[in-house]
Amino acid sequence: MREERHPGQAKIECKDITKVFIQKGKQRVHVLDHISLDVKENEFVVILGPGQSGKSTLLRIIAGLETPTEGHVLIDGREVKGPGPERGLVFQGYMLFAWKTVLGNVEMGPKLRGVPKKERREIAAHYIHLVGLDGFENHYPHQLSGGMKQRVGIARAYANNPQVMLLDEPFGQLDAQTRYFMEKETARIWETEKRTILFVTNNIDEAIYLADRIVTMKGKLPGRMHVVYGVDLPRPREHTDMAFLKLRHEITEASELTL
Amino acid sequence: MVDIANEIQQQIQERRPLTLAMILTNRWFLYGVSMLAFFLVWDRAAAARVFSSGLPRPYEVVLQLWRMMFDPLAGKSLLGHVWASTQRILIGFTIASLVAVPLGLMMALNRYVNAIVKPLFDLLKPMPPLAWISIAILWFGIGETSKVFIIIIGTFVPCLLDAYNGVRLVEPELYDVIRMLGGNRRHEIIQVCFPAAFPAIFAGLQIALSIAWSCVLAAELVSARSGLGFIIILGMNLSRPAMIVGGMVVIALVAWGMSQLVSGLERFVCPWKREIDSR
Repeated sequence: MREERHPGQAKIECKDITKVFIQKGKQRVHVLDHISLDVKENEFVVILGPGQSGKSTLLRIIAGLETPTEGHVLIDGREVKGPGPERGLVFQGYMLFAWKTVLGNVEMGPKLRGVPKKERREIAAHYIHLVGLDGFENHYPHQLSGGMKQRVGIARAYANNPQVMLLDEPFGQLDAQTRYFMEKETARIWETEKRTILFVTNNIDEAIYLADRIVTMKGKLPGRMHVVYGVDLPRPREHTDMAFLKLRHEITEASELTL
Repeated sequence: MVDIANEIQQQIQERRPLTLAMILTNRWFLYGVSMLAFFLVWDRAAAARVFSSGLPRPYEVVLQLWRMMFDPLAGKSLLGHVWASTQRILIGFTIASLVAVPLGLMMALNRYVNAIVKPLFDLLKPMPPLAWISIAILWFGIGETSKVFIIIIGTFVPCLLDAYNGVRLVEPELYDVIRMLGGNRRHEIIQVCFPAAFPAIFAGLQIALSIAWSCVLAAELVSARSGLGFIIILGMNLSRPAMIVGGMVVIALVAWGMSQLVSGLERFVCPWKREIDSR
């Protein structure tokens, strides 16, 4: 039974998330320490931190692929107990199904739910169009460039109509130019079909360009939240804008990141 | 023509006048030269009696094969013998793969099946299939059954092993993807595990096929009334080297043909596999 969501209640609520990994039966790796985070509906929140700061683990916990040692995650008031289609996840390594075409990949979510063929083709076609891959429906992943593969990943997650979108350093494997392009595309896609988005990255520019709010993580394990920045700049944003650069300077000073 | 994203790379062939240098460096020309040289050396070595009368000249082999096509040898024409060997392989290979591949998949997916089967398998795996010939004849006599049995033994191991490894080498995050899209364990297996393992399974089938050929030959060399191994043995007994070499040539051709069929099937089932360009 769905709990009634009160106006003002956040879409995603993380309360006191703590995660300790036990490796080889003995070593305890304390990855996250009492993280509490709220994300409002249709908000674009970016988690920014250097490598090894626990941010991917946090995202995986919210996705339901890991369970927190302490604390819990609520989405729309319901506790997250495992992976599920209300959360769409875009992976850093694309993780496309090599044996399926672009169309086959994007329609996988509806297919698993038993949506009839004609309908799910339409849904897939809509999202393929949204990410700008018209004409590539029958291509196989190995025929696509990195940026295109990631767009398929985004379309695949979107096509399942999730409540929230989770993106785990999705552009980490792309070159700088493609990365800028994909950031613009992400902003465009989000503006066209709004969703609640939680985006993980280690790149300050990317964070400021995309986010409504930036949550920075400290650089050492266990991961703790550092400073939260609200980004009020009008969209579409310019990397060379004064306000953009000021914020960039502020974040760089406060954290260990230089990018 | 190769499609990559938006690029379509075409091989632009300029029309240039044919020069001698172009001919001499052309790939097909060089292939032809190499083959011609091979046959020439063979012919000269045979005529010079390098292995006394043991090496037949190429035309003798062709003549012998031609004769065998129409004059029955031990009751069968050449094609009859080809079918005898092929039939044994098909039966043995089919039985073995139909059991081994699902078993390998189940071993990789289920802990308990793995625990039961793996020790037995590891025990029997290192033994060469040909070591089983004597006991196969003891159990099943010198007829068809013993030969098919050897083929089953020989093809079982690679089929199972490659199916098993095919599953174990699947990228684990792909299962995460299916789970996030709302799939359950059944979807994990059918939608991710099987398709991802197909290329490995086909690789196993190819290896199993070539092992099957050596198995059938060995079995026929020991005891047979028909088949390509039988032709080779007969050639030895009758001191007809042309027959021996002829048998070898036919074996190579048929084995190659079957291997091409499996490759063709693989291209049909796995259209996403990138072809390694043969240059």
